[in-house]
Amino acid sequence: MRGSLSFSSQRNFAATLLLLPALALLIGLLLYPLVLGIRSAFEMTGADGATKFVGGRLFSVLAHEPRFLADVLRSVVYVVGNVGISFVLGYGAALVITRPVRAAGIVRATIIIPWITPPVVSAVLFRSMVDPSKGPASHVVQYFLGSGFMILGNAQSAMATVIVHSVWRSFPFIMLMIAAGIAAIPNELYESAAVEGCGAFRRFRYITLPLTKLHCAIVLLIVTMWTIQDAEGVYALTSGGPGYSTEVVALRLFRESFLNFDLHIAAAVGVVLLLISGVFAALYLSLVGGKRVEL
Amino acid sequence: MRKHGLAWWAAAAFYSLIALGPLLWILRTSLAPEHTVSVIPASLSVEHYRAVLSRPEMLRYMFNSVLVSLATVGIVVPVSLAAGYSLARYQFWGQRLAPLFLVAPLLPAIAILVPITRFMHQLGLYDTLAAVILTNAVFTLPLALWMLRNFVSGTPVEVEEAARIDGCSTTGVLLRIVVPQAAPGVIAVAVCVFIGAWNNYLYAFALTSSQDLRVLPHAILAFLGQWGTYWGGLSAAGVIAVIPPVFLFLIFQRWFVAGIFQQWSR
Repeated sequence: MRGSLSFSSQRNFAATLLLLPALALLIGLLLYPLVLGIRSAFEMTGADGATKFVGGRLFSVLAHEPRFLADVLRSVVYVVGNVGISFVLGYGAALVITRPVRAAGIVRATIIIPWITPPVVSAVLFRSMVDPSKGPASHVVQYFLGSGFMILGNAQSAMATVIVHSVWRSFPFIMLMIAAGIAAIPNELYESAAVEGCGAFRRFRYITLPLTKLHCAIVLLIVTMWTIQDAEGVYALTSGGPGYSTEVVALRLFRESFLNFDLHIAAAVGVVLLLISGVFAALYLSLVGGKRVEL
Repeated sequence: MRKHGLAWWAAAAFYSLIALGPLLWILRTSLAPEHTVSVIPASLSVEHYRAVLSRPEMLRYMFNSVLVSLATVGIVVPVSLAAGYSLARYQFWGQRLAPLFLVAPLLPAIAILVPITRFMHQLGLYDTLAAVILTNAVFTLPLALWMLRNFVSGTPVEVEEAARIDGCSTTGVLLRIVVPQAAPGVIAVAVCVFIGAWNNYLYAFALTSSQDLRVLPHAILAFLGQWGTYWGGLSAAGVIAVIPPVFLFLIFQRWFVAGIFQQWSR
């Protein structure tokens, strides 16, 4: 660690004091509710209104519920669709903005804007684009599938809209991360490869791609976690409809928590979501921690 | 040495179109007179903006959004700077917590929003903007802390040591040396936190029930429920909500992007 101050108990006290406000906030408003939430996933409220411990019963209810299993499947479709398309688009964009062209900075700034647009606004915007009578996307689709076709009224095209919306919001971040990786590759590698007679494709295949592998892995994990937990984008765009056809696990959690107020089932879904995120978080830590983070 | 010709410009145009196309559509819808059919409207009007802004509650929602975002920045920046500094400069037990700060921003906030809401009830803070501010603060804090820790690690420690030898107190060192040195990092973090709080819908929705406590994203979804397909008005409200983050990002772009790089790629 670079330039740390020398150790003494007085210093130790100062360090603790500086960390204390952050710790207090995180323990009080993050850790404590987390424990409460996990606990209530193992409880149920009886007919008499009393809360009693029921062990893993809620989880076995979920595991046997066709709707929940379908939610999980839809989450998988959502994650694979969003992460896959965003990654290809984002990698391409990273190659574009890392070229030594003066306009690259402007292109980079332009591409980042979708990422910082409020999700609710982008969802309303996508709804207006697929509006059956006024949306430009609807006009194109109706040209092929017949006038009357409603994009958000059909299970497959509603899911596709949810994914496209998410791709639009996600690929700029992937671009930023991979561009950071590409920018760190020494130029000499490309120069000597060019001298050896390597074409653009082989330079990409044997230099750029292997040397950005770690960045790719990290950004894939981050975007996967973001997509798994995205409830507000889906809620604002389709509310899970038509029927349950775009109801992903995070949206189910949102519905049980804030629309149905079935708090124990919500807590159980929450624990499932936490467990899945925990697996990805551990992978992420082992990648980042092993390579770069100096503790 | 690398050539860039037509192919680069074609790719750049393709990506700019993907990114800007939908935003141009919302701008067009917000400015086109109602019942315009053609993609490029023959005339522009501000009728939708007038319709949206003439609602007194709209000004209230904008004020709430500004208040929540600024207050979140006001809490997160000093708290995360102090904590980030202690993790960057001292060898102590807090180091062992560092990986938790790295992972915390990635955990699903929605999974613990119900217990937070219940806890806010107990504290008597439910249905106040204070609850929304605190929740925004606690969820943006780990990322801010990590960014500032990395930033402070990258600034030279010698100046601080010299100041201490000259008899400067810890508080003095923090205010006179660390804060000015870390200014670009602080600005990047402040912009990130502001945008994060500004864009958030979930916490405000979960923690408030009164209409006049809504923030803009919450209000826009409520408008959607009331107005149905009045896209002109919804788009105008959307454009109003998208201006502050885009404006801040464009002004502080360099520091913002550098801060993101530091956060995730270290």
